[in-house]
Amino acid sequence: MLRFVVFRLLQSLVALAILSVVVFILARATGDPLHMILPMNASEEDYANARQYLGLDRPYVEQYLSFVGRAVIGDFGNSIRARRPVIELLQARLPYSLKLAAFAMVVSLALAFPLGVMAAVHKGTGVDRAAQIVAILGQSLPTFWVSIVLVEFVAGRLQWLPAGGADSLASYVLPGFTLGWFVVAGMMRLLRSGMLEVLDSEYVKLARLKGVAEHRVVWVHALKNALIPVVTFAGIYFAILVTTAIVVETVFAWPGLGRLAYDGITSRDFPVIQAVVLTTAAIVAAVNLGVDCLYALIDPRIRYGR
Amino acid sequence: MKTTTRIIMLSLLALAAAASPARAQSKSELTVALSSFSAETLDPALQGHNVKYYLSLMFDYLVGVTPDGQPSQAGGLATKWEPSADHKRWTFHLRKGVKFHDGTEMTSEDVKFSLQRATSKRSTTGYAGPLRTLIADIETPAPDRVVIVLKEPTLIIPTYLSRSLSTEGMVLPKKYIEANGDDVFARKPVGTGPYKFVEQAVGSHIKLTAVDNHWRIGVPKYKNVTFRLVSEETTRIALLRRGEVDVADISRERVKELEKEGFPIHMRKEEAIIHAWWILGPEGRTPPTKDKRVREALNLAIDRNEIAQSIFGGYAEPAVIPMGLTWAFKDVGFKVTPDMVYAYDPARAKKLLAEAGLASGFTLDVYAFQLPGFAEGKAFAEAIAGYWEKIGVKSKLIPVDYPAFRKMWVDRKAPGAVGYYNIANRDWIGAYALLEKQGYTPSKLNDTVNDPEIDGMIAQVMRQTDREKINALMRNIFTRLRSEHHGLPVVYVHSPYATSKTLGKYNPGTVMYDLFIDELARR
Repeated sequence: MLRFVVFRLLQSLVALAILSVVVFILARATGDPLHMILPMNASEEDYANARQYLGLDRPYVEQYLSFVGRAVIGDFGNSIRARRPVIELLQARLPYSLKLAAFAMVVSLALAFPLGVMAAVHKGTGVDRAAQIVAILGQSLPTFWVSIVLVEFVAGRLQWLPAGGADSLASYVLPGFTLGWFVVAGMMRLLRSGMLEVLDSEYVKLARLKGVAEHRVVWVHALKNALIPVVTFAGIYFAILVTTAIVVETVFAWPGLGRLAYDGITSRDFPVIQAVVLTTAAIVAAVNLGVDCLYALIDPRIRYGR
Repeated sequence: MKTTTRIIMLSLLALAAAASPARAQSKSELTVALSSFSAETLDPALQGHNVKYYLSLMFDYLVGVTPDGQPSQAGGLATKWEPSADHKRWTFHLRKGVKFHDGTEMTSEDVKFSLQRATSKRSTTGYAGPLRTLIADIETPAPDRVVIVLKEPTLIIPTYLSRSLSTEGMVLPKKYIEANGDDVFARKPVGTGPYKFVEQAVGSHIKLTAVDNHWRIGVPKYKNVTFRLVSEETTRIALLRRGEVDVADISRERVKELEKEGFPIHMRKEEAIIHAWWILGPEGRTPPTKDKRVREALNLAIDRNEIAQSIFGGYAEPAVIPMGLTWAFKDVGFKVTPDMVYAYDPARAKKLLAEAGLASGFTLDVYAFQLPGFAEGKAFAEAIAGYWEKIGVKSKLIPVDYPAFRKMWVDRKAPGAVGYYNIANRDWIGAYALLEKQGYTPSKLNDTVNDPEIDGMIAQVMRQTDREKINALMRNIFTRLRSEHHGLPVVYVHSPYATSKTLGKYNPGTVMYDLFIDELARR
């Protein structure tokens, strides 16, 4: 197990190194950030001054080495747009993204578990169909549309919940539900198919023959063995929710990482783009590693490195 | 199961209670929701113009202006200012007893320091470049007197340092910045304005709190003012309906709906001109738009009234003069005569093209992009391209983002192609500054005109010290821009701001990127 973890860590580091080169080149291919920060009437001298001050006049290789050298100690340089250390911006935004993603995962798990299990237990019935409709709607309705409808009606017209911001627990409900509902479909369907397979297995039949109560058969014996694909899915989606909830963050004025990335891209803020991409990649790599380790805990039959 | 249901219901009720609208929000709080904070920098030297919304509450200007943009001796840190006979030395007399938020007294040393900082290489403000070129020295003969020595005689220094333009005129605390450094100042800015900095959550909000008693507005009406960044309009309106914000920028298409609901709408009339132009080549204009008749034809092909109604919801007026900023017109006594107005006349446009030897039309690249405050950008580009198709001009729409377009423009890589901008309206000196950069051949990078006659007049304005002669020059520049069709002035747009039903009287003023929230806080 230890060998496996070390090997995966090394793999992740190599991937991050390659990614750092790719993101460094691609960020610069998008254009000159000075067009965004300098006023429309800026002169050639203003451009030259700003370029020199921001270190953008140095050779690309020098800029890259400087970026990588500092990034390994957590220094991503200064934001060209906000003119403050990028690490400060990340530290300010990441917790909001993590909290929103966690809330959304709780919502999706709370919906997907009962829906998935009920759909499997009542396969082919109205309950099964209703559960699938609820889940599929979450995935097929555009997140932007769901967000706008919730803001317009639930927050603006009915005034039940806050429309935006991250000031209170209530502020989490609408963005968390929007994100969570989107994830429900995949999770619920994985759980349903996993449960159907497990419920048809010999050991479940044996448990029933031995007189184990049905709810125990379903919720303990069957569910545990249907969980592995769901855990993988939830892990990957958690990482995705942390880093890509741009639409939801924009609509709900949520100060998260997605908005930071979006602002960074639209303003050609190289240091921010580089930092967000690398941080995102690191989160995805860490979550994947964590999920792999969880496999072993959930199912002791799985052994790595053998 | 019943217990679970009960728990869920109770939780939802608790959430709903916690989330109940903030109608009962204390009157001592004022919240402004804006669609953009621009760069969100709190250091005036790091961003000009569009951070004024919130910075103008924390910092006072050397030269104050009224909300309508007129210089005011009562509104700034200078109580009066006068030029020497040769207009190369400007003396500013400072208000005594004004204190920074850290308790230190504001003196001429702070003014000198602020101006040097605003024109330093580090500065990226709107007029750092022109000021760098103009200023030879800054003298501080007394704590309440500062003298700006210029390389050339000029009348425009007070306006450059006023609230009507960018951030160069904001007075910063020398001692605080020298003791703590630029980075600390950018995180915890200190000024002499009616509101002190409390906190900033980048991407979320900026919170300010009132000083006990401000020299200009007395004891501010609102204890706290918060600027919230809310990009999505539906959300800003929902916040307004919930009573969580008091002022919000809204789009023109939502005006009628909110008016019906009883929300007061405050229009900033003719806040910007939507102006299009043809990118110059390395040597100036290129065919076919080098031909004045073609430029006129392209102007006559556009139905400005229809654009004002359909794209801007009726909250726009047809524009007449290329780069013609109307707030400047009244300053210099320029009058738009009926013959200057571009009629929608496709037949005459076709005739002009035929006279120019282009009866079968030509191909014209039109860049389509959106800009801050101009969400209608792409629809606008499609509309003008559509009008040109009707007179036989094959318009090729090229969707790009603004930085990509700007690169094509300043690098002169797409001669003759069309671009556009929503240029904030401003007074005569602001209009002059714009012309000096976009209509003046020596400015190279941003020039869109390339006309020796206009170049000569612009050069004279800078050195002229007789205001009447300046006015005449400015009038002649506007007249020539129109008669030579040096651009495509399309519409002046009005910008709506909605306020809560309880806010009361509010004048958002006519100064670019400034909502005069501090005047709202005046008791």
